[in-house]
Amino acid sequence: MRILVAEDDHMLSEQIKAALSAEGRAVDTATDGEEAHFLGSTESYDLVVLDIGLPERDGISVLKQWRGNDIQTPVLILTARDGWSERVDGLDAGADDYMTKPFHMPELSARIRAMLRRQAGRSSPVFQKGPVVFDTRTNKVLNNGMQISLTAQELAVLSYLFHHAGRMVPRAELSEHIYEYDCDRDSNTIAVFVNRLRKKLGKDLIQTARGQGYQIDLD
Amino acid sequence: MQSLQRRVILGGVVWAVIAILVGGFALLSVFDQIANRRFNALLEERHTQIVVALANSEIPDQIGAFLNDPAYQRPYSGRYWQLNGPAGEVVASRSLFDTVLPLAEALSPEPQIWTSDGPDGPVRGLRQTITLDDGSRWVVSVAAGVSALQAEREEMRMSVAIAFGFVGVLGIGAAALLTSLILKPLRKLSDDVVHRWDSGKPLDVGEYPSEVAPLVGDINQLIDRNREVIAQGRRQAADLAHALKTPSAALRNELVSISRKADGTAPLFDALDRIDAQIIRSLARMRAANASKVVNLRTDLGNSISRLRRLFGALPDTAQTSIMAKTPVELEVAADAQDVEELLGNVIENAVKWCDAQVVISTEAAGDMAVVQIEDDGPGIDPHYRETALTAGTRLDTAVPGTGLGLSISSDLARAYGGSLDLGASERLGGLAVSIKLPLAAAGVSGRASDPHTGLPKTA
Repeated sequence: MRILVAEDDHMLSEQIKAALSAEGRAVDTATDGEEAHFLGSTESYDLVVLDIGLPERDGISVLKQWRGNDIQTPVLILTARDGWSERVDGLDAGADDYMTKPFHMPELSARIRAMLRRQAGRSSPVFQKGPVVFDTRTNKVLNNGMQISLTAQELAVLSYLFHHAGRMVPRAELSEHIYEYDCDRDSNTIAVFVNRLRKKLGKDLIQTARGQGYQIDLD
Repeated sequence: MQSLQRRVILGGVVWAVIAILVGGFALLSVFDQIANRRFNALLEERHTQIVVALANSEIPDQIGAFLNDPAYQRPYSGRYWQLNGPAGEVVASRSLFDTVLPLAEALSPEPQIWTSDGPDGPVRGLRQTITLDDGSRWVVSVAAGVSALQAEREEMRMSVAIAFGFVGVLGIGAAALLTSLILKPLRKLSDDVVHRWDSGKPLDVGEYPSEVAPLVGDINQLIDRNREVIAQGRRQAADLAHALKTPSAALRNELVSISRKADGTAPLFDALDRIDAQIIRSLARMRAANASKVVNLRTDLGNSISRLRRLFGALPDTAQTSIMAKTPVELEVAADAQDVEELLGNVIENAVKWCDAQVVISTEAAGDMAVVQIEDDGPGIDPHYRETALTAGTRLDTAVPGTGLGLSISSDLARAYGGSLDLGASERLGGLAVSIKLPLAAAGVSGRASDPHTGLPKTA
């Protein structure tokens, strides 16, 4: 799952990036409103963490323009101001949730997980397909009750396919959502990750349609 | 407050009274002089008649035959003549009947005007010593009653008083009318200033008389400056919040990382919590302090409640809570929209946090105040702890996340606007009932509709 963090404070931005990366997310950062608008408009993100008080251009106007251009990526706004009016304005502009600074990183992670689940149309934080169980809260994967160790990329592929279960996900789309902006995106490596996942979690977990992509069907 | 119109009318009345008194006095004096001259001239004419009759009559006793005025024959008619001869004899008109006109102590060949009590009221007379051809000296006196003169004077006074009174009333009315016409541009200015707050367009100096135009220009500048100061204050508060809370968030996250590797970070978290609470409290105080400086605001209470319901209804954590609003009548409060939403938002958030499933928001007008009641079906607050719950930083249950500042900030804001926030028990839902009173915007006075997005009066 690929997330854009638009936050002008470098330290806080890096902290959020580190916390989300540790959960297997691909994270891009933007430090001003113009950059955030550019990345959000041109790249595919599963979620955006958007600070309202961005320099160059404020977060609300960026969000309004995205929604005006029919970019429906879930957006969580960060606000340093206490004003309820600002939160209502953020929501009216198209935000899906908000957090007030200062916040606890685990709470931000939990909110992001919940938003991604809602986007996938699920209320449970746990995905299951046969003997394979994926807990989004801990990023732990069990196969027949045994915890399986996965690399960050493997986890990213598995997470994206689970969150889009029941739909054939093209290889290019997978590539767009597991790599960060400045990474080399070789879509052939996706096939390598999928093969590894099959070895670790069983051949029946991921369906392959040649030339079309990959799919997980939940129980 | 002093009214210009009242001042002008009062001034007009004082000047009218002075003008009437001085003018009336002068006019009546002139009239008195004219009446006296006319009366005296009449006496002189009658005196001449008597003198001519005396000179032409050989026997003074028969003078009456030369005078054909019947008033001289009728007793106490108010018209008299009298001759005092050299031998002390007295010849008089019948009208004197049994009285005599007084004589002067010193006789004089010059005519003398005198006043005395006559047989039927006061009389004024003319006497003169006349020496006939035969050398005899006679004192010839004529007199007439002055009651007619006095009656004429009274009538004149009354006429003058009525005429001057009418002129006075007319003058005061004209002054009032004139003042009203003169003040018309100022009334228009008052309406335009209110409209200017609503529309954001500057006042058109060209629409006002040259005497008022400089004032209009000054008001334009003042309103712009006021708007700028308010906006600047809000921007500074927002920037300060951003500048303080962002590093605070970063610091907190860094502490979390450190605490995973080392012990003894609890005091650091406590200190950071205190810093965060102080920042929130200080920003809230700034907001409350600024609240009273802004005047002539009006905010649609129903709209603010509706916006907040939409927010809580859309957020994942609170979407399951039923938030009902009962706002039967449209109420506008004299407060800034952002402050109203800040005040209500904190209380609703508290209600949503503590309720089982339901929150009800109701509004009503009570006198010149709007009352917002926010009730929940949660555990409520024991009456003994209600006052404590409004103290900044008090958290009655530390197991539930929060700063303990929300209700206290709302209470401060309500008081800053001359309202109040009270805690009680909800009869309807069994939980906490928070009653917020805010002053209603004055009915019929068009104030500035406050924009919840900027917190400033709406602009075009």
